[in-house]
Amino acid sequence: MAVTDENGAEPAPPGVGPTGDPLLRTRFALPKRPSTFLRRARLVRHLDEALRTPLTLVNGSAGAGKTLLVADWAAGLREPVVWLTADTADRAPGVFWAYLLEALRAAGVPVTADVGCPAEAGRVDPRTLTRLAAALERRDRTTVVVLDEFDRVTSAEIAGQLQFVLQHAGHGLRLVLVTRTEPLLPLHRYRAAGEMTEIRDAELAFTTDEAQELLTRHGLHLPVSAARALVERTQGWAAGLRLCALAARQDDHPDTYVKQFEAGRSTVADFLLAEVLDRQEPDTQDLLLRISVLERFCPDLVNALTLRTDAEAVLAALHRENAFVQYLGHAWYTLHPLFAEILRAHLRERFPGLEPELRGRAARWLRRSGALREALVQGAAADDWDFTARAVVDDLAIGRLFTGLRSEDLSALFADMGPEVRGPAPDLVRAARDLGRRDLAHGLPHLRRAEEELARDGGEPAPARLGLALLDALAARLTGSPEQAEHAAEQARLLREDIPAELLDEHPELTALLLTHLGSARLWAGRFEEARSALAAVASQPGGAVMALPRWEALGHLALIDYLLGWPGRAEQKALAAAGQAERYSLPRRSGDGLVPLVLAAVQLDRNELDEAQALLAGKAGSHPYAEDPVERAGRAVIRGRLLLARGDARAALAVAGEPVTADVASPWAQEHSALLASAAHLARGHPELAGEAVERMARHRIACAVEAARIRLAAGRTDEALGLIAHLPEEGRPGPAVAVRATLVRAQAAYESGDQATAARLVARALLDSRRDRLRRPFLEAGPWIHPLLRTGRLRELAGGWLVPGPVRPAAVEPAPPGRPPDLVVEELSARERDVLHRLAEMLSTEEIAADLNVSVNTVKTHLKSIYRKLGVSRRAEAVRRAREVRLL
Amino acid sequence: MRYEIRVEGQMSETLAKVFPELDHVLMAGQTVLFGPVVDEAHLYGLLSRFQSLGLRVVEMRRLPE
Repeated sequence: MAVTDENGAEPAPPGVGPTGDPLLRTRFALPKRPSTFLRRARLVRHLDEALRTPLTLVNGSAGAGKTLLVADWAAGLREPVVWLTADTADRAPGVFWAYLLEALRAAGVPVTADVGCPAEAGRVDPRTLTRLAAALERRDRTTVVVLDEFDRVTSAEIAGQLQFVLQHAGHGLRLVLVTRTEPLLPLHRYRAAGEMTEIRDAELAFTTDEAQELLTRHGLHLPVSAARALVERTQGWAAGLRLCALAARQDDHPDTYVKQFEAGRSTVADFLLAEVLDRQEPDTQDLLLRISVLERFCPDLVNALTLRTDAEAVLAALHRENAFVQYLGHAWYTLHPLFAEILRAHLRERFPGLEPELRGRAARWLRRSGALREALVQGAAADDWDFTARAVVDDLAIGRLFTGLRSEDLSALFADMGPEVRGPAPDLVRAARDLGRRDLAHGLPHLRRAEEELARDGGEPAPARLGLALLDALAARLTGSPEQAEHAAEQARLLREDIPAELLDEHPELTALLLTHLGSARLWAGRFEEARSALAAVASQPGGAVMALPRWEALGHLALIDYLLGWPGRAEQKALAAAGQAERYSLPRRSGDGLVPLVLAAVQLDRNELDEAQALLAGKAGSHPYAEDPVERAGRAVIRGRLLLARGDARAALAVAGEPVTADVASPWAQEHSALLASAAHLARGHPELAGEAVERMARHRIACAVEAARIRLAAGRTDEALGLIAHLPEEGRPGPAVAVRATLVRAQAAYESGDQATAARLVARALLDSRRDRLRRPFLEAGPWIHPLLRTGRLRELAGGWLVPGPVRPAAVEPAPPGRPPDLVVEELSARERDVLHRLAEMLSTEEIAADLNVSVNTVKTHLKSIYRKLGVSRRAEAVRRAREVRLL
Repeated sequence: MRYEIRVEGQMSETLAKVFPELDHVLMAGQTVLFGPVVDEAHLYGLLSRFQSLGLRVVEMRRLPE
């Protein structure tokens, strides 16, 4: 199977960055300085301090000249800086870090693959941050990172994460924040420690000399007195000075103009901008107003908006004059945000009602150019829902509402779509949003309506029908309807032939999601082999952010199948591969926890690691944003019940076994496992007859139930019947050790009870051999008291030593058990992390040193220590080390 | 809640339209905007709009009901 090499690297699909955003590079570009830019030596000198302090803050009002100051300084450094212009969408931590990582890579900073990259908007894995900080710290040179327009990043969570990385990267990172508002980092601490360089409004303000020089560069020659008055009027504000120069220069009497302005009482930017705008050619005015609806633009897009062909020349001229537009390189421009705001106010006044039309036109251009997300943003802002929904559906991007970094953003765009918008595409989008939240009550009616609309209108293109198939498969998974899932998959297979291959290649997530839903539905129906073939096809596909979620889900399902077939080792391997995938892509948040922790908990339960199983189960239980599908619900119920039973709470376990899992069809394995759970719970409560009833019905065709039925007969002293059942186990393929071992132990018990010690010992030996690799302790603990004396003797003790009973048997290591205290049957296995802590303990490191070494908090180390003490049955460090040496853990 | 917000300079009519929810009067060298403010979020939103338009807020106070 192709999922064996899941732990390591995976090829990224060519041509698509992890964030899949073609306009991204414009956000990594240092804005170009216009020819009129004035370098101010005092500020550059101050900014040089940024190389010496971890944090630098350039904090000033809009139009104070922050961005150009830092861009000019950065361009003069020997090493290229990492530049990221923040966007309002970066409020979500996952998005922010994905773009910052991309910016680092774009600037040539080697960020190793193990750092990973968030694939969900809301979350970044702490390990990604830890590894990033470590990678920066290890670098032989300092990395300077500039975050421009950081005021758009309002999240305290992101500020905390930046603070963490900054702290742990040490000398490796110098962070420069360019912002209008105070960032949420603990600035007082940096200030107090002298670890912050700070340039604020007062320092950014132009002095009279500087103002005079700046105005000269704009072609306006003023005497010192006039320059001084202007500085007073504008409070040295860069935007005010620039606008004033532009307005005055075009006046017949610049000096008089400036004097009049100085004497005026208008708000500076607003007044001057209107003046400058009025002085432009009418065509240019029109162009400036129209492009104010765009965040970034290139000549072709501007032509589309203005219905002209000369945008390239106009933009170049505007940039040359330093009037309004900034150049980002690669033929892309942006408006100064201050001017864009004011220009939009003018646009609304001069051309009321034009804005939606402009946005609609921009949306169509952007879609044609492959910038789908920007197209959808503009389409939604234009209130053009027919276009926006169609763009998602026809471009085969409906899967992007479920998976990928921007899935939540995209989905949220449609929150404003009113119920009056009709048609197959809007209904498909509605159904996708509802089903994505696992809201069947709203999702199914929308889905049925979309289906009817598509059936009515036979001319609807194939992508809409393929979208319908995807949602049908999801609905089938959520309702537990394998036949419906098969039907959807078959429809999809036929439809794919009518869709251009390039479009399908651009959206691998669509097929991957569909196959995952199909696999889940097949799994529910107990058709494990067919489920496997669908899921393995997903798991073996190349990675990338949009594939992260389906791959992770597919691996989780594959792990569950292995577990259900009795192969805990294989199940654990796949679940860990899925967990690795989750860590790398900072999954999951939106997607809930899925099956991975469930499978891992089940494996730990088989090993009798009850605390670990509990922790895995409890992890996020109850905090699920959305309802679980039947496979998750049944899986969780079984494992929760078994854990309760292992803890001795049979009554609660019985209640869990009785909880129904609603689905369109019944699931054979879910029924089997709840029967097994009920039976074991009844047995534990001393009701063998009820236990028998629970499993009897399925004993003929399910191995595990047959084994359990045999065990119950043994308990009742009906040895022959028990052996008869075991001898004719139903054919179900070759079961894995978890099932086989239990069968062997029932045979062994039967032999033991009929007095055949030798056969019993032989069978127990086989069971031990089958369990040793996966350390399956639970079957032995559940076998009953008869097995204990056997495990203490001869070869069996050797086989069980070290994992089931203490220590490998070596004469020197055997201590006589203290009288009155029975030897521990089971030494609880230490977790990998606990072993890490133990090794450092043996090296005489302090708790704090261990915490620093392992990059965890002191409290976490203390928790590990407590758990180590408990497992080793000691109460002090020295004892723990001694005991660990005795049982050869060290 | 009703608020009164004073910004430096006399705003143009065009710019005043950016705040359709507020009334305004021009004073000596200042513009006074006033009107209902729904909640804190609205208040901070207003402040950030002033900032992004390059307006300087010189005074802001809650009006008695």
